Amino acid sequence: MPMAALYVVLGTIFGFVLSRSGAADYNYIQGMFLFERFQLYGIIGTAVVLTAPGLWLIQRRGRTALGAAVHVELKPMNRGTVVGSLLFGIGWSIAGMCPGPILVNIGEGKVYALAALAGALAGAGVFGALYPRLRDTFGLPSIKARQAAIP
Amino acid sequence: MPLILNDLSPLHWAVAGGAIAAVTLCLLFVANRRLGLSTGLEDMCSLVLDQPYFRRDAVASGRGWRLPFLLGLVLGGYLSAVLGGGWHPTWALGMFDTVIGFGPVGKLAWMFGGGLFIGFGTRLANGCTSGHGIFGMSNFEIPSLVATLSFLTSGILTTQLVYRVVFR
Repeated sequence: MPMAALYVVLGTIFGFVLSRSGAADYNYIQGMFLFERFQLYGIIGTAVVLTAPGLWLIQRRGRTALGAAVHVELKPMNRGTVVGSLLFGIGWSIAGMCPGPILVNIGEGKVYALAALAGALAGAGVFGALYPRLRDTFGLPSIKARQAAIP
Repeated sequence: MPLILNDLSPLHWAVAGGAIAAVTLCLLFVANRRLGLSTGLEDMCSLVLDQPYFRRDAVASGRGWRLPFLLGLVLGGYLSAVLGGGWHPTWALGMFDTVIGFGPVGKLAWMFGGGLFIGFGTRLANGCTSGHGIFGMSNFEIPSLVATLSFLTSGILTTQLVYRVVFR
């Protein structure tokens, strides 16, 4: 269970930073989409600029700190990538939260975030239930293929 | 501009971006895990639903790290409030209150509707701001670039529509 403790600690740091940076703040999200505030562009941009060389180094090294072979699952590209992202962006704007900040907002005591979580779980649940039908429409991988992709 | 949370001053964006990068890299370097939070919605669904989609290995194998991480997100938000002026349940929603002004029931419906788009959209897109926007873009993955441009575009259009056209 020590790894579980590490995940809780990393999640706590991540959540604290999202909470204090504006990434989990309705006004800052709208300010980003209205081009009135640079904050969120700065956060995402800095995170990408600093993560990119780190990922390159870790994958070049090929081993994790514990000696395991580094494994990065790649995401597929299909019609769902665009359509799903367009839908998600609408939700990000309406709620002023993306998935991580929903949980951060719940922790902060913002009552309405519970409704956002309920909606997100319902949306994911509907997607899962409709998966067999959505597969052909959006060119999604079969469940078996998705399983095989992750060892 | 202060945060909605206790009117706190926000961290500088470079500090926040640096911390996000550090956690992302630590997750891969120590635990061999690719950052991605919206799959956590499936993890939570998989606790109660048993469609094949929620029984696939990607969910089963990632649940062990994502669920504790998601618990940490809640704790992080809680600690942020406790250490920054105190924790209390609130309905405050910033410019939504001043411009749109729905009461609690309206807010719950609004948020539930937004959540539906988030849950369905991120599952269809196979990622969100973290998995596509941070990790995927940093790893120069084309699907993630396409996804990020797509959700930024629709977010911009939606907010412009809501705040510049419908509720003005």
